[in-house]
Amino acid sequence: MPMLIRRSNLMVPITDSNLLQGAWRHNADAVTLDLEDTVLDSRKEEARALVKDAIRVAAMGAGEVFVRVNKPLAQADIEASVWPGLSGIVLSRVESPEEVEEASRVMSAIEGCRGLEKGSLQMVLLLESAKAVWNIREIITVDPRVSQVALDESDLSADLGIMPLPDQDPFVYARGRVVVEAIAAGVQPVGVTHPMGTQARFPSPEEMLKIATDSKNLGFKGILCPHPSWVEPVNTALTPTESQVDYYTQVRDIFAQAIAAGTAAVPFHGRMIDVPVDDWAKDVLAMAAACEARDAQKREALAMAGGIVPEDERQD
Amino acid sequence: MEAKHQLYWGMLEVGLTNGPKMEHRLGDGSTSSPRTVVDRMHGDGYKAYQGALMPQGNGKRMVRRSGLTMPVVTPRFVDNAWKRGCDFINLDLEDSVPQRLKGYARGLIKDAIPNVSKGGAEAFTRINHDLVEADLEAIIWPGLSKVNYPKAEHAWEIEKLDRIITRLERERGIRPGTVEIGANIETAVGVANAHEIAAASPRVKEFGGATGYDMSRDLGVEMFVGFDQFVYGKGETELAARALNQEVHTAPFTANVTGSVSDPDRAYQEAEAARKCGFRVGGGLHPNVVDPQNRGFTPTEEEVAQAQILLEQYRKLVNSGESWTEINGLIIDQHEAARAEELLDWHQLCQERDRGKAEAVARVEEEAG
Repeated sequence: MPMLIRRSNLMVPITDSNLLQGAWRHNADAVTLDLEDTVLDSRKEEARALVKDAIRVAAMGAGEVFVRVNKPLAQADIEASVWPGLSGIVLSRVESPEEVEEASRVMSAIEGCRGLEKGSLQMVLLLESAKAVWNIREIITVDPRVSQVALDESDLSADLGIMPLPDQDPFVYARGRVVVEAIAAGVQPVGVTHPMGTQARFPSPEEMLKIATDSKNLGFKGILCPHPSWVEPVNTALTPTESQVDYYTQVRDIFAQAIAAGTAAVPFHGRMIDVPVDDWAKDVLAMAAACEARDAQKREALAMAGGIVPEDERQD
Repeated sequence: MEAKHQLYWGMLEVGLTNGPKMEHRLGDGSTSSPRTVVDRMHGDGYKAYQGALMPQGNGKRMVRRSGLTMPVVTPRFVDNAWKRGCDFINLDLEDSVPQRLKGYARGLIKDAIPNVSKGGAEAFTRINHDLVEADLEAIIWPGLSKVNYPKAEHAWEIEKLDRIITRLERERGIRPGTVEIGANIETAVGVANAHEIAAASPRVKEFGGATGYDMSRDLGVEMFVGFDQFVYGKGETELAARALNQEVHTAPFTANVTGSVSDPDRAYQEAEAARKCGFRVGGGLHPNVVDPQNRGFTPTEEEVAQAQILLEQYRKLVNSGESWTEINGLIIDQHEAARAEELLDWHQLCQERDRGKAEAVARVEEEAG
């Protein structure tokens, strides 16, 4: 199975035409067109009608395109969203496996007639309540479409009735559970460390890089970005650095020499290199190559689309 | 589980009805241990607390403060192991042994067991996750205390180990139930199934993990980043172990940003912090950390003296009919008394262990002339 590289997923309110038209330029691995919280109730119908064209625009930078649907309107929203170019649906406020199965059934029913391979659409699930975090295993293992699962700490705070302080992280358990259960199930955990999961502010690129690096080091494979300024630091943080690539290239070399000499344990700069370290070195080098391949696709797409003015596109 | 707790508490209740409390006054030359005195004076709150601190496995609490994991194929490690002062030696067939040497390596274990344990250390062997049958056939011999099974993920794996070990113990004249199983949790699936794994066999007597290179690889994270990346898995495995009355094999987070395996100061700090959090099991990869772990997991003389004073004060307090007091800003009550007793018991076990090892080393040296 090819490695899924979906480091940054930029959320865009579909009814905000400026943000929508520019979304493809930000180098996000994925763009999620939002029909849910960032769209006024009075504009839900109108928003739905925008999806088909918006998918094409959002994909111009070679980002995957997702649509976040409204849980109570899931069927109509999904039916309005399943068009060529769509990678999948972001399903929020999930609390039970039945909801996932239901959404999957709706997709299965129309994928074929909309020119998509049956079963090809993915699901990204957002967990936003204590119940959801508790039931995570049943929720994420019920359907093979589920490729990522995220913890929405902001809504979880509301569910728990708490107002977290920036320097006290109340989600150590919930976040740890999401990471471990997701990886145990072969699903990518997506999320960001405290306090960025609850704060509607825009950090400096340096701060975002640090937060995204910590998130990666907790096991998260991607971050949902509410603002384009998050995308570059997130991509950078979730890509192996040059010095890591150098280091692990050396590790592989040292380990190969040790094996030739008859041992699989060898000291290296005060650390002990053995089988799992060499295995991790392989993982990091493979990840670096996969990120580079993904970045090359996006570079090419951006260069090709570079001359096109998004506003012109919109008038088609 | 339930039955075990009830039995344990029931035994204490019997103690409670045995004679008047005043019989065990402080300083009267009574030969009763402090435990007996406090046991007889107190009700369930105290016992529940004590139960949490004192795993009631089969027999005495094991003292496993320090241990070295070493590739069994490296003769200079194995031949010097008995001199290191470890409470245990973990002979590795897994990650430190090249694939092509697996067969050769397992053939070395039978002789290595008496070799590494002649200085008083227990002998363990870490087998390969995917070579269970062949490894067990080669290693279950008298003198082996424990089989460490890496990357445990399901109860049935442990049940299978148990069946094979039970047969081999019978065939090879080893007392049934001697060989423990260490179910090492090193993956997300292992954490997710922690309780069923720990409960899968009575041979699992200490449990924990969810850190280290394998775990970090499974989560896809760099290690040594300066914050606790494994807090959830450590918590889950600790809860499973505590719920099953097993010794917990874990440590609180202490930053290690260099990844060093040979830093004695760090080893001491971590061991001391672990002991103060109620953990008793150590182990490492480098001889430098053995002595710091032995020291860090053993209560200091000062702590022992304080515990004795606290118990004295507590007995005076109980004799006066009070349940708590404050001396120099410290609360003295049944919980603190239980903690002090646990510390003294553990200290005594550590001393016995150290004596046992010193005697074993002396014997070896004497034989060598």
